[in-house]
Amino acid sequence: MTAIGIWMAAIGTLAIYSFLYRDNPIYRAAEQILVGLSVGYLLVITIKTTLVPKVATPILAGDIWGIAAAIWVLLMWTRILPRFGWLARLPLAVIVGAGAGLSIPAMLKARVLSQMGAMLRGQPGFDAWVGALGVISTLAYFYFTRPQKGAFKALARLGTWYLMIFFGATFGYTIMSRLSLLIGRTDFLLGTWLGLLP
Amino acid sequence: MRRSLPLLLVGAFGFAMLVQYFTPLPAGRAIYGRVLEWMQVIFAAGLVLGGFNYARTHLRKVGRPGGDRVYSALALAALILMLAAGFMGGIERGSLFLWLFDNVQVPLQQTVFSLLAFFVASAAFRGFRARSVEAALLLCVALLVMIGRIPVGEMMGIGLPESARWLVDVPAVAAKRGILIGIGLGSVAVALRVMLGIERAWLGGSR
Amino acid sequence: MSLATFDRRIIFGVIFLAVAAPLIVPIGLVSEVSPGTQQFYDLIEQLPEGSVIMLSFDCEASSWPEIGPVADALVRHAMRRRLKIIGTSFLSEGTALGYDLLTRLTRQTGMPYGADWIYLGFRPQYIAAMLGMGESIQTEFPEDYTGRPLDSLPLSRQVRTYADMALVVSIADDTMPQYWIEYAGGRYGVKIATGLSAVMVTTFTPYLDSRQLAAVIGGLKGAAEYERRLGIRGSGSRGMDAQSTAHLAIILLVIVGNVAYFAGRKKP
Repeated sequence: MTAIGIWMAAIGTLAIYSFLYRDNPIYRAAEQILVGLSVGYLLVITIKTTLVPKVATPILAGDIWGIAAAIWVLLMWTRILPRFGWLARLPLAVIVGAGAGLSIPAMLKARVLSQMGAMLRGQPGFDAWVGALGVISTLAYFYFTRPQKGAFKALARLGTWYLMIFFGATFGYTIMSRLSLLIGRTDFLLGTWLGLLP
Repeated sequence: MRRSLPLLLVGAFGFAMLVQYFTPLPAGRAIYGRVLEWMQVIFAAGLVLGGFNYARTHLRKVGRPGGDRVYSALALAALILMLAAGFMGGIERGSLFLWLFDNVQVPLQQTVFSLLAFFVASAAFRGFRARSVEAALLLCVALLVMIGRIPVGEMMGIGLPESARWLVDVPAVAAKRGILIGIGLGSVAVALRVMLGIERAWLGGSR
Repeated sequence: MSLATFDRRIIFGVIFLAVAAPLIVPIGLVSEVSPGTQQFYDLIEQLPEGSVIMLSFDCEASSWPEIGPVADALVRHAMRRRLKIIGTSFLSEGTALGYDLLTRLTRQTGMPYGADWIYLGFRPQYIAAMLGMGESIQTEFPEDYTGRPLDSLPLSRQVRTYADMALVVSIADDTMPQYWIEYAGGRYGVKIATGLSAVMVTTFTPYLDSRQLAAVIGGLKGAAEYERRLGIRGSGSRGMDAQSTAHLAIILLVIVGNVAYFAGRKKP
């Protein structure tokens, strides 16, 4: 980073951190600048790396499929015209339909069959039984179409405890993760900007 | 037509992509490849549309009297600057585009998310209470994972990292596995409903 | 001052001090290498020289302080093993972050662009792109990130689909590895590993257990362990002191909060 870059980054960082004291115009200005830059960044990257090579370049080369792609793009952009906005549903239908069709075998294989296979595979032992009981009891907890009473209720309650272990572990990791972000910014402010770190 | 044609398309594309998974026919593969291209192009067009709507919203705010017009002007200025830098100066190393990204956008973005560290600490202090057996279990596991995953926990030599690892690798995996299987089955059901035209929320509006 | 009226800015100050102090005055805590990190290390170490790996920077700038060190250590390891790298990204901000990291590190070792590494760039519809690369990387990315025709780059002629790659590593802060597993791994059988933000570790441990993921390395701690295994000291290792003191501070806050809560409940 150059000196100007470091100072710009430091000013932006402190502007955002001013929110910790209270909401203020400097924080709000920095926030809006961030969003504006982010949208601009996304547009440049999307157009240059996707729309140009996949639509513009084929059309210039006389590829008929480039024209087909351009038609889908234009249909999508009819959304801004109140009278013709419904035409945008057509390219949306392509994405929604194709996405749904692609997801069925993918989900069944990766989320259902592979996970069930992992549960049943492996050496029988304490961990395997704890794991299997956890999967069954968690599924029992989420089974709301049957009244939860008697033995089924006890199973669902056990599922709750497994879920609490999962959420507790996730919460612990979440705190780790968020603190890492703060460590990064503090390292920048105290080290790169102020030069206080060894 | 405004609803029936999209519903027809969603079913056609959906079943085409589902059937081609199981068929080795060259025609199926060709259609598959072409649809994948279109999905990306349409998605990219959607992103551009989103950017256009963003700019239009803020342009309207700038035109209206009020305190917020200054912020909208800043947002638009940042947008235009980034677009100009990217389209006129390139996106390679050493470009103004990447300089703005590295020195302004990234630090601002990282700082906004680092605020979460403060808020999660504050929320943990104020709200994380062992009010019930389940809450106490969640609390204990969270604290065990937190201390087991740092060098201090490793140095204590009382098996904290191993215990934390076991909790993550066995009961937590079991719970997540149950969730995954449930979500997987539910997602398949929703996908079928969409393809059959039963689920129509994606169409939006009433007309 | 009761818990309800406790000024949270005091807590903010405590957390900042807990993070800043050990950065200014390092304690020098060292991370033990966990089995998961060792597994990730072994995965890369066992790849024959000249193998091609794909690094997908599926992350946003916000999480880069955490997973950037993971990516940095991984690229250094790959260069040490003389592996060839194809970079890509399915989240826009990861595009520039990955490009910057790869250009910076490959410049240090003189790894030639085009022959030993290429950067494909960004694709917005990740499912379609992942599946498209299984059919033809050339068709999916006719140009590289900088607009050069892909077939002008020697490495692209060597790698046509996932079948020509040894491994895909997703550097991710969200659920993108799941899509890699479901679409690229499920349909084309490519081996997948991931460097994750810590918050996603519990989400992906089931996939590691089911062998749908070959290895998982998580968070700044994972980066510190990986650096230790590689014998380098990077930002992962430097952050462990601050991570430890901040964790202890939060644990203390939670305990104090609970003690005050139960003590307050007992009073008439």
